[in-house]
Formats: sequence, structure tokens, C-alpha cells
Amino acid sequence: MVNENLVKDVVKEPYKYGFVTDIETEKIEKGLNEDIIKLISQKKEEPKFLLDFRLKAFKKWQKMKEPDWAALGYKKIDYQDIIYYSAPKQKEKISSLDEVDPKLLETFDKLGIPLTEQKKLTNVAVDAVFDSVSIATTFREELAEHGVIFCSISEAVKNHADLIEKYLGTVVPASDNYFAALNSAVFSDGSFVYIPKGVTCPMDLSSYFRINSGDSGQFERTLIIAEESSSVSYLEGCTAPMFDTNTLHAAVVELIVLDDASIKYSTVQNWYAGDEEGVGGIFNFVTKRGKCLGKRSKISWSQVETGSAITWKYPSCLLLGEESVGEFYSVALTNNLQQADTGTKMIHIGPKTKSTIVSKGISAGNSKNSYRGLVKMGTKATGSRNYSQCDSMLIGDQASANTFPYIKSQQPNSEIEHEASTCRISEDQLFYLQSRGIEFEEAVSMMVSGFCRDVFNQLPMEFAAEADKLLALKLEGSVG
Amino acid sequence: MEIIEKIRTNKSRDNLTEIQKICLHKLQSSPLPNLKSELWRLSNKSKLSNFLDYSFNEKDSKFDIPYPKNSQSTIRLIIGENCQIKLIEKNYSIQQLSEDELQKYIKEQISYFDQNENWSDLLNLSLSCKNNILGLNINGSKIPPIEIFSHASSNSLNAKTLVIFLEKNCEVELLQVNLSEENSSLSQSTFFCLKENSSVNHGVVSYGENRSNLLNSLNVIQQNNSAYNLGSLHFKFNYARFEINIKQSAGNAKTNIKGMQITKKDEQISTYTKIEFNGPNGFLDQINKSLADDKSHAIFEGSIIVPKIAQRTNASQLSRNLLLSNFAQIDTKPQLEIIADDVKCKHGATISQLNEEELFYMRTRGITLTEASKLQLSSYFQEIISFIPISKDKWDLLDKLLNEN
Repeated sequence: MVNENLVKDVVKEPYKYGFVTDIETEKIEKGLNEDIIKLISQKKEEPKFLLDFRLKAFKKWQKMKEPDWAALGYKKIDYQDIIYYSAPKQKEKISSLDEVDPKLLETFDKLGIPLTEQKKLTNVAVDAVFDSVSIATTFREELAEHGVIFCSISEAVKNHADLIEKYLGTVVPASDNYFAALNSAVFSDGSFVYIPKGVTCPMDLSSYFRINSGDSGQFERTLIIAEESSSVSYLEGCTAPMFDTNTLHAAVVELIVLDDASIKYSTVQNWYAGDEEGVGGIFNFVTKRGKCLGKRSKISWSQVETGSAITWKYPSCLLLGEESVGEFYSVALTNNLQQADTGTKMIHIGPKTKSTIVSKGISAGNSKNSYRGLVKMGTKATGSRNYSQCDSMLIGDQASANTFPYIKSQQPNSEIEHEASTCRISEDQLFYLQSRGIEFEEAVSMMVSGFCRDVFNQLPMEFAAEADKLLALKLEGSVG
Repeated sequence: MEIIEKIRTNKSRDNLTEIQKICLHKLQSSPLPNLKSELWRLSNKSKLSNFLDYSFNEKDSKFDIPYPKNSQSTIRLIIGENCQIKLIEKNYSIQQLSEDELQKYIKEQISYFDQNENWSDLLNLSLSCKNNILGLNINGSKIPPIEIFSHASSNSLNAKTLVIFLEKNCEVELLQVNLSEENSSLSQSTFFCLKENSSVNHGVVSYGENRSNLLNSLNVIQQNNSAYNLGSLHFKFNYARFEINIKQSAGNAKTNIKGMQITKKDEQISTYTKIEFNGPNGFLDQINKSLADDKSHAIFEGSIIVPKIAQRTNASQLSRNLLLSNFAQIDTKPQLEIIADDVKCKHGATISQLNEEELFYMRTRGITLTEASKLQLSSYFQEIISFIPISKDKWDLLDKLLNEN
């Protein structure tokens, strides 16, 4: 039998991103109404079309009901008890990174995000978002040389209003779901990426989201447009301090891919998950969707979900273009009292479209981990294919793993294959590794890592190594 | 929806049994299931309302079983024909359950009912009068095969209920046949209780005629070391819904399910299964096949629930679907809900059409496309049909499936 105490004895490293940056912030009052939305819009000096977009979304949101179909249980969110805009106080206009508050730079330094010049060598352009606003975006000039636009969405609203007006809300309409409507009404910042025709983005782009205040929600919006024959790899990371209260994070990500273009979107989500008793932690309700508009276009989602008290997230692909490809690779790990209901939607609309889903769920402690996915073949999706694989691993007898795949086909000339399995860490394998002199905890870690290998292989280099470490860290004290 | 109106106003009939009263009472507050819920959202609303449109028929019209007995030993029973059953032989006994026993058992079952999840049973039990409930206690060994018929006559809604207790160490082969005439609705509920070490090969064959409807619910409770094998086949229904609810009350039991539904024209047939393991060492092997042609719609939803107590459960579920027309559709949703950690659970689902390479191979050998398709289909059907007891030869099921319509 596996010795429960062995692993529990392993040093429990606390959530290392749980610190709070003591910085003067500008917050608006709590609550949500039309005036608050107007105030946010006014603060961001937005054009009229965006204010209208927000107000329309707010009206729709008021009529909607919070979804309850997910296998999640959490206390009711009081939407009037949230601050919808919070920003660190800064000088009016920042012309270079040197003018950014050193405290902020220090924060991102601590998080390992290379904003300062000497760290730029890593060759990843970063857009750092702190609470409701974007602090800095690196490598902008270098990217501009290639015609790539990478900036915060607030800047894009000012400088590229035409693109925003054309594409915002076309993939995830404001009325799509409760949380998307909320986000559309109050989104404060986020990243905007535009890759022009024929350009392969010379470096990975990355956004880093940091929630700092305990009483404000984060509502960012990301929009990525890949023109014909272009490609980009985009990385996203998130952390938050440890608070006893629950903080709401409701983001929307929209991807648009035209002919022969591709977007690879990777996420390592490490929001604060609450403590062992389930106190505190982020409520993470995210709508991510990509539209493969062009022929032979491709969207690849890869995600490592280890944080958040509640995760509600289904990165999806609408496969419209002929021969377009959608991919979803996910590792979701839950421990203690975390709950995750995550998966994907692959909607095959165009002919000869292909999709692959690989989902690995690991549940430990008293957590609940559900895969929920939809694969749909429309009437015109002739010659389309889908392959899905969902594996769950249970660690300890208190955790639960659920699988809910929804499969719908209206096209005889298409093929759907789905398989799912649930198992525990094999004792034979553990014994084998231990008999070769490998420590118990290391053996468990190796096996979990092996279990997730298919997904880690899809992550960009920087993330893959980190993800491995992150999983090992998160599992400590939970293996029994 | 005449029936629903009657339930709502409670103007139905006098002489209601206690069970009917309880069920009517449960239904009165909300006579229809929540059509937005996961269990009902795919159900065709107009077809369901068509099911409920027929007026209720309490008295059975005479009907002739379309097939002769293949052996003299087979026991044939028709639900609704008010015959007293008391067969006591040397090795076995088949006896009708007393009214008290029936009431006690059904009442206990109802207490666990959820208005939405068990709506079909509630409807059935609120309509089924004494004559249309058949309760049997089966005991002993070397029991001859049993055939039980339920029948719906034209232009009416019929409700039939079957309750079977299988005593300890008892083995039996049982075929249940649900036949619906043209323009009819049949509500069939079956309650099976398998005691320790008992085993049953249960076949359910349901087929209708033009525009017939069926709500078929099957509730099975399996005690320790029991084995339940189910082979089922549903076809030729304008609207049919087969709900299987199996509970391994203390684990340590074996369940094998092989089911198939075939839809053509604009039919809708769905299968919902829920298998719960309430103890360790449970075993499940399930395969469900669907074939959808023309403008029809086939649905499968299967859930496997493994709570913490059900350690060492080994469960697998496979949904295989053939979609043969551009206008047909298939929905399938196998689900796993697991809390126990020492388990092996898996499920799979595929949707495709006939294998082109195999078709091509046969055609290069001079077999026509129609023949080749039939050959492929017959192998697809055969896996399920061969699992249905008693029916194998005389019912010509394969022939019926391949050559009718």
C-alpha cells in the first residue's frame, strides 16, 4: 500500500505568488450600474461605439441568469459588492518603461516576468496587466517593424479603432453567456494582437495578468487577429495574492484566423486557489473562443489549469473554413477544495475540418474535476473528423472526476471518435520505480508528468518546464 | 394532451389504488417533466405531446401474439390478461405477487422517485390499474424460458407494469416484448429485483407500427453476486424512449448491457441509462448501438456513477453510432461521475457511416452495393441480437431489421 504520510511529509511550499504589492491605487466605488459603466468608459476615453457596446451588453446581462448547469458549487456572487475598476496611480502618459512605478516593475520581477531591459533577452514580448490596466508592453518597436501590433486593448481602442470596431464581439457576442455579457459591459483592459498578412510573428507574445486588490474583479478582454498566411504563438499567465475573500475573474478571449493562418494560444493558469480549508481563491469564469474563418486556418489551445477555487472555462473553436483545424490540449489539476468544470467545444461547420481534443484531469484532496466538451458536426461538415481523448487520474478517495462529453452529428460523411478513462496511479508502476531506488514522491511526480506528457509536448518551451514543476508543487501533500 | 389535463384536474376515474393516488399526487403539481433539463431537452416536444394525446385505455382488447411458441416448455404471459399465475413444479415456482407485496415494493420505489428523472414511471403507475400490473415471484432452478408481452391497441394510450422478484440462487431467461399497433402509445414500466446469487438473461424487444409511441422504463436492483444481462432492441417507433436505471445495491454484482435502436423516416428513439454502484467490486460492460437513417434522430445518454464506497469498480461503456443520411442526426453523451479512486472506468463513443473500405472490398468480389451494405449492417446488428435470449431463431429479428421498410 502507498504510504500516505510519506508525501505529506514533503515540504509544503506555500503559494509563492501570494504577496500583495503595496501601491497606491485608484479605485471606483463598488457596484454595477449604467453610471459605473459610463465612468469606466470615460476614464478610458473610449469612442461612442464602445460605450454603446458596453451598455447594450449590460442590458442583456441584467436579463440573464447565472448558469447553474456546471458541476460546481459555490456561494452566490454579489455583483454589487465588486469594484469594477482599479488601477495603480501613475503619471499621465508613460513614454518608456523607466517611468513605470518601480514598485510595479518589482512586482513583475518577483513574478519572473521580464519587463525590464536587461531581462528582455528572453525574446518574449510581454503585455503586463495589473488589476484593471495594462502597465507595459515590451518589444513594441521590434514587432512594429514586422507590422505586428501588440498593445493593450485600451491603446488599440485609441489607435486602431477600426479593427476593434470590426472584430470586437464577433466571436463571443455580448449575449453569448452570463459572464461574457458581464465582461463586455465592464472589461477594463487586456491585450490586442494583429498579425498582418504573410507575417510569422518573430517572437512569442505573452500577457501576464495580475490581480492585486482583493475587492476588485478582473475583467480583461483579449483579441487576436491573424491575417492570411500569418502565424503567432501567444502565451498567457496569471497569478493573484492570497486573500480570504473570493475574487471574481471573468475574461473573454476572441481569436480570428483567416486563410492559411494559425494561432497557438497557451495558458498557464495559476490564480490563487484558496487555502486547504477552501477559504479565499479566485472564481475564474472565462469564455475563450476562436473562429477559423479562413481555409486551412488553425487554432490550437493548450492550457495548464492549476489555480483558482472555481474554474469554468471552455476554450472553443468554430471551424468554418474548409480544412480548418482546431486543437485543444489541457491539463487540469485540482487539489484541496478546488472545483474545475472545464473542457472545449469543437463546432465543425465547414467541410473537411479536423479537431483533436486531449484532456487530462488530475483530482486530489477533496476536489472536483469535470471535463465537459461538445463536438458537433454540422450538416455541411462533410469529410470532417474529430478525435477526443479524456483521461482522469484520481489521487485519494475524496476527490471526484467527472466526464461529460456531448457529441452531436448531423453529417454521415464525418467521423467522431471519443474515448475516456479514469484510473488511479498504478501501484505496480510505483513499486517498480521505487524498487529502482526512486523516491516515492519523485516516482509519483514522474508518473503524473508522464500522464500529462501529451499535453506538455504541445506547450511552448518556457511553459513546459514550468508546468511540470507547477504540477509537482501543487500535488505535494496530497498523494495517498 | 388529454392525459395531462386529466391528471391536473384529477377528474379521471374512481376506484384508484393507493399507488395511483400517490403518483397522481406527485404529478399534479407539475404534470410534465422539465423539458429544459438534461434528461428531456433533446426529446422532440411535439412527439412527446403526441404520445400524450391518445385517450387512456384501461381495458385491453384481445390481441394475438404474432409468433408461435418455439417450444412447449416456454411460458407465455400477457400483461393485462387477467389470468392467475401459480406454477409450482418440482424444481421451481412462478407465482403472482400478492397485492400487499406489490404495494409495499412499489411504494418503497416511489419514495426514491424524482419527479423529473422518474417521470415515465410516475405516469405509468398513476395510470396502471390493478389488471395491468403483473407481479411475479420466481424461485428455484431449471426454470423454463419466460416470454412476457405488453401490447398497445390502436388510437389509445395503454399503461402496463411488470414487477419481478428473482429469489436467491435462481437463474432465468426472460424475454419481454412490447408491441404497439398503429397510432398508439404504450407506457411500460418494469421493476426487477435480483436477490443474492441470482442471474437473469433479460431481453427487451420493442417494435411498433406506423406512428406508434413508447415510453419504456426499466428499473433494476441487483443484490450481492447477482448477474444481470440485458439485450435490448427498439425500432419502428414514431417516438420511443427507453430509460434504464440499474442500481447495484451493495456492489459485487455483474451487469452486461447490449442495446440497439434503429430510427428511420422522421422517428426519434432515445436510450437513457443510469448505472449506480453502491458497493465495491461492481462490474459493468455496456454497449449501445444506434443507427439513424432518413430524417430520424437517435439519442443515447449513459451515466455511470461511482461513489466513494464503490472501490474496485470496473466499468466500461461504449456508444457506437451509424449515421446513414444527410438529414438524420445522432446525439450521444456517455458520462462518468467518479469519486472512488481505486477504479477502472472508461467510455468511448464513435459516430461514422459504413466502412467504405469494407464495402469496396466486397464489391470487388462481385457483391452488389446493396448486398454489401446489408452484410455490413447484419454484422453490426448481430452482436446485439445474439445477446437477446429466446428470440434468437423464431423472431427473425435480423430479417425484420434488414428487409422491412
